[in-house]
Amino acid sequence: MDTPPTSETPVKRKKGLTKKLVISMLLVGALPLLIGLFLAFYQGTQKIQEVNGASFKALANETARKLDLVVADELSRTATLTTNIHIIAVLETRRDALSELDAAELTALLQQEQALWEEQNPKFSEPLTSGPIVDILRKQVGGTYIDPGQPVPVVTRSATRALYITDMAGRIVASLDTNPSYLHAQEPWWQGAFHKGVGQPFLTPVAFDPQLQTYTFTLALPIMDSLRYEAIGILRRVYDAKEFFAPSIDIIRFGETGHVMLIDSRGVVLSCPILPTGTSLSDNRLIPLVTPMQAGWTPAPSDGHGGQDTSIIGFSPLTYASRITQASTSLGWHMFVWQSSEELFGPIQQFFRWTAGFGLLGVVLLVTLGYLAAHRIASPIRQLQEAARRIGRGEFQKSIAISTGDEIEELAEEINRMNQQLASQFAGLESQVELKTQEVKYLQESTSQILDSVPDPVFMITNHNTIEYLNQASKDALELSDNGSIVGSPLFQILKVDPKTQAKMEQEIQTIQTSSPQLDLPSLSAPSFTGLRDPLAQAGGDQSVDTRPELRIHYRTYRYRWFAVEAAPGKDAFVGLVLRDTTEESSLQDRLIQGEKLASLGVLSSGIGHELNNPLVGVIGLGEAIQDEDNMDNMKGYAKDIVQHGKRMASIIRDFTGQMTNQSPEAKAPIDMNTQLTRAMNVVQAQFPNPAITIHTNFGSLPLLRANPYELEQAFTNVLTNAYQAIQGEGTIDITTACHEGNIHIRIADTGSGIAPAHLPKVFDPFFTTKSQGEGSGLGLTVSYRILKKLGGQIRLEDNSNQGTVCHITIPVSAEDSTP
Amino acid sequence: MNRKHSRRLFLTLLFMLNLVMGINQDVQASDNPTFPDLSPEKVADYMHSIIEADRKIYTTYVVKRMQEQGIVLAKEDWENKNAIPLPAQFLHLSSKLVAESGIGIRFRLISLWPIQRRNGPATEFERKSLEGLQSSPDIPQRGIVSTGKKKFFQAIYADTAINTACASCHNAHPLSPKRDFQVGDIMGGVVITIPLEK
Repeated sequence: MDTPPTSETPVKRKKGLTKKLVISMLLVGALPLLIGLFLAFYQGTQKIQEVNGASFKALANETARKLDLVVADELSRTATLTTNIHIIAVLETRRDALSELDAAELTALLQQEQALWEEQNPKFSEPLTSGPIVDILRKQVGGTYIDPGQPVPVVTRSATRALYITDMAGRIVASLDTNPSYLHAQEPWWQGAFHKGVGQPFLTPVAFDPQLQTYTFTLALPIMDSLRYEAIGILRRVYDAKEFFAPSIDIIRFGETGHVMLIDSRGVVLSCPILPTGTSLSDNRLIPLVTPMQAGWTPAPSDGHGGQDTSIIGFSPLTYASRITQASTSLGWHMFVWQSSEELFGPIQQFFRWTAGFGLLGVVLLVTLGYLAAHRIASPIRQLQEAARRIGRGEFQKSIAISTGDEIEELAEEINRMNQQLASQFAGLESQVELKTQEVKYLQESTSQILDSVPDPVFMITNHNTIEYLNQASKDALELSDNGSIVGSPLFQILKVDPKTQAKMEQEIQTIQTSSPQLDLPSLSAPSFTGLRDPLAQAGGDQSVDTRPELRIHYRTYRYRWFAVEAAPGKDAFVGLVLRDTTEESSLQDRLIQGEKLASLGVLSSGIGHELNNPLVGVIGLGEAIQDEDNMDNMKGYAKDIVQHGKRMASIIRDFTGQMTNQSPEAKAPIDMNTQLTRAMNVVQAQFPNPAITIHTNFGSLPLLRANPYELEQAFTNVLTNAYQAIQGEGTIDITTACHEGNIHIRIADTGSGIAPAHLPKVFDPFFTTKSQGEGSGLGLTVSYRILKKLGGQIRLEDNSNQGTVCHITIPVSAEDSTP
Repeated sequence: MNRKHSRRLFLTLLFMLNLVMGINQDVQASDNPTFPDLSPEKVADYMHSIIEADRKIYTTYVVKRMQEQGIVLAKEDWENKNAIPLPAQFLHLSSKLVAESGIGIRFRLISLWPIQRRNGPATEFERKSLEGLQSSPDIPQRGIVSTGKKKFFQAIYADTAINTACASCHNAHPLSPKRDFQVGDIMGGVVITIPLEK
C-alpha cells in the first residue's frame, strides 16, 4: 500500500546530518586526541618507571658500594689486631704450651679454667680482662685514640658489643669484660674462622642476641702465627647490626617514603629506616627478584613493607661483604631501594588526571563546536531538502535564498534553475496531459457507445471470473438495469446457465487465460454442424450439446465466442465473451429441413407414381384383353406380359427402397466382378433396348470377391443405367476392369452428355437428379455409393469434358476374399 | 660456558693437583721406613715445579684459550660473576686446599707489592728473600724459620710476570701498590713451608 509522503518522516531525520557531522568530528578529533593522550600517558608511565627504576638501581648500587667499603674498612681495621705482634706472641706461647699437653690433660685444664672464669675469680679473670692486650682491644672499641704513626686521631665506632680473643683451644685470651663465656671452640663462628687451622674471615648472619637484647652479627678473624703458617687464635667482634649499618643507610631518604635498606638473601632486614632489624620482607615473592648478584631494578607486585601495590625496587648486592658472608654461611647481603607506590606513581596519576581532564574538555569543546558547525552546514541543506520536496510535489515556489558562498550556494542556484526549467516544461506538459486525458475519455466513451450499439451481448471478464464491463445489449438480454452492482459481480451470478454449460465455460475461460491470446477460437459464423440434414437419416440424430458453443438464457439460444483482450501495462488481461442470439436462426433451419423433407417426399411419391403408372396401365390393358380373349395361347401371352410388367414394377419399387427384397439378400458368396458386370449389362440392355449404343468390354483377370452378388449387380446396373440414359442417339460405353495393388479397378466411360461441374458434388446426394420427372428417382447413384461403401470401396464420377462421363470404382481385395 | 661448567673444570684441575700431591704423600708414607729422608730442599723443589706446571697449564691452556674463544673470562670476583678465577687466585685456592688437607706442607704466593695486604711478606726472612730474588731470580731463597718453638724449612722461588695479562692486571688494580710491571718482571715469590718437627 502506498503511503503518501507525510511531513513526519523528514522531521524524524531532521537531525540526522547534524548528528552524523558531530559524530564525524568527534571521531576525527576526539578519537586521535584520546588515543594520543592515552599513548602519552602510557609512554609517560613507562618512562617514569624506567627513569625511577634506573635511579633506584643507581642509588642501590652506590649505597651498596659505600657499605661495602665500610665493611671492608671495618674488617681491615679489625684485622690489624690479628697482625699485632704482641697478640701473636702471646698466642704462640699458648700454642707451644698446648702442644705439650695430651688430650686428657687439655680437657681437665679447660674444665678447670672454665669454672674459674664462670665464678669470675678475679685472680683468674683479671689478667684476661686487663693488661696490654686488652688495652689494644679497648682502643678499637670506642673513643678516640691516636694510632702510632698516624697524625689524625681515629674515631672508632660504638657499634661493637663485644670484642675478645681466643687461643687455638677456644679459650678466652683477652676480653673487654667477663660477659662472654670462656670456651668457644665448638661455636660456629670459631670453627668457621679457625677453618682447620688454615683460618678465614667469618661473618655470621644477623640474629637476636638474648644477652644483649638486640640483633647482632659477628665478625670472626683468625690470628695467624708469625709465619702465617697456621691460625693460632680467633678474634671475635660482635656488632649491633642496627647501629653498625644505620649510619650508612638510614640517612639516605628521598621524597617522603623513599629509602634504602639492607637485607640478606633470606629476605631478613639488617637495617631499614622503616622496618625493624631482624624482620622479614612482607612478601616472599620479592626475595628472588631483588637478590641476584648484580645491580638492577624491577617492577614488583608489592613493596615488601606490607603494601600490595605495584612498586619499583632497585637492588644491588654488597659484593665484598657478600664474598665473606657467602664463604661463611652462603648468605649474601643486598641493598634494596624503595619508594611507596602512592608517592612513586603520584606524578603519573596527577598526569593521568590532567590528561583525562584535558581529554574531557577537548571532547566537550569538539561536541559544542561540532554542533555549531554541523548546524551551519545542515541548515541550508535542510532548506534545499524542503525545496526539493516541494518541487517533487509540483509546488513550484520562489527561488531559494542561500548565501553560504560555497558548494551549497551553488547547489541552491542549480536547484533554482532546475525549478524554473521544470515550471516552464510542466506548463506545456499539463496542457498536453489535459488533451490526452480528453482523448482517452473520448475513446472510452466512443468504445462504450460502439459496444452498446452492437446488438450482441459483450462481456469483459477479469481473471477472477468477475464482470469488468458489459454492453447495453447484455443488460437488455439479461434484463439488468443497475450497472454499478453488476461490475465486479461473478459472471455466472449474472449469466445464469445450467451447471453443465457453466462448468464447460469455466474450463474454456481457464484455457484462454493460461494460453496465448492467439488461441484458435470457434467462430460465431462457423456453424457448429455443417451440411444439410439428411431427411432420410434417423430423425433427431443426437449431436452432443457439450461440444456446441451454445447456451440458453430465458428460453433463447445463444451461440457464444471467447476472445482474449490484451492487458494494459501492469494490469491483468481480460477475457471477452460475445453472445449471438441464434434462436431465430435455429428455428428457421429446422423449418427449412422440414420443407426439404416434404419436397423430397413429393418427388418420391410422384416418381414412384409415374414409374409404376406405365406398367400398371399395361397390366390393366392386358387384364382387360384377357377378359376379352378366349384364346388360351393369347391369354398365356398376355399373362406373360402382365408378369413382365409386374416384375418391372417390383424392380422400380426395389430401386426406390434401395433394398433387395428377393433371394437371400444378405448372402455373401465369392463372386467374379466381370460376371456381375456382364449381368448388369444384360439387365440394362434388356431394359433399354437401343441398337445405337455399343458396349465395349475389356475385362482383366480379377480375383474373386466375397460379396452379395445381387447388391453388386444392382450397383453396377444403376451406374450403367445412368450411362445409357446419358447417351442421346448413338454412342458407346467402355467397360474396363483390372486389378493391381490389392484393388479391383473398374472404369465405365460413356459418350453421353456429361455432368455439369456444378452438379458433380451432389451426384451422390439422395433425390438429386437432372432427369425429367418420372425418368429417374435420384436414388440410383446414392444406392450404388452405399453398396460400395459397405465393401470398403469408392465410387467417383468425372466429367470427360464434353465427351461424356467416366465412373471410377475401386474395391479393395482382402485375404479373405482371395480364398474361394 | 656457564658458571657451573667453569667451576667443574676448576675443581677437576684441583683434583689433578691433589692427586699429584697425594702420590707424593704416598711415596713418603710407604717408603719412609725403608729409604732415607728426602732433604726439604728437594721436597720444596719438587713441589715448586708441580705448582708452577699446574699454574702454567691453567694460565695457558685454560684461561687464555677460554678468553680467546670468548667462552668465559677470568675475573677477580669470579664467584659472583660468570667467570673463572685468575691464575693468582688459582694458586691461592690450591694453597688453601693443600693447607686444609692438614698434611703440614704449605705454600703461599707473596709479593712486596701485594694487592691484598695478607699476601705481603709475613716475616723479615720472607721480605729479604723477595728482595734477594729481585737481583737473582734463578736462585731460590732457603732457610730455617721458627714460630715459637716450631721450626720450619722455607724455600722462596721467584714468580715472574709470564705474560702481559699478569702485568697489566696488577698495574690496573686500584689496590695495587706498584703499577709499572713489565713482562718478565719478578712480581713476587712462591713460599713453600715444610715443618721440620712433628
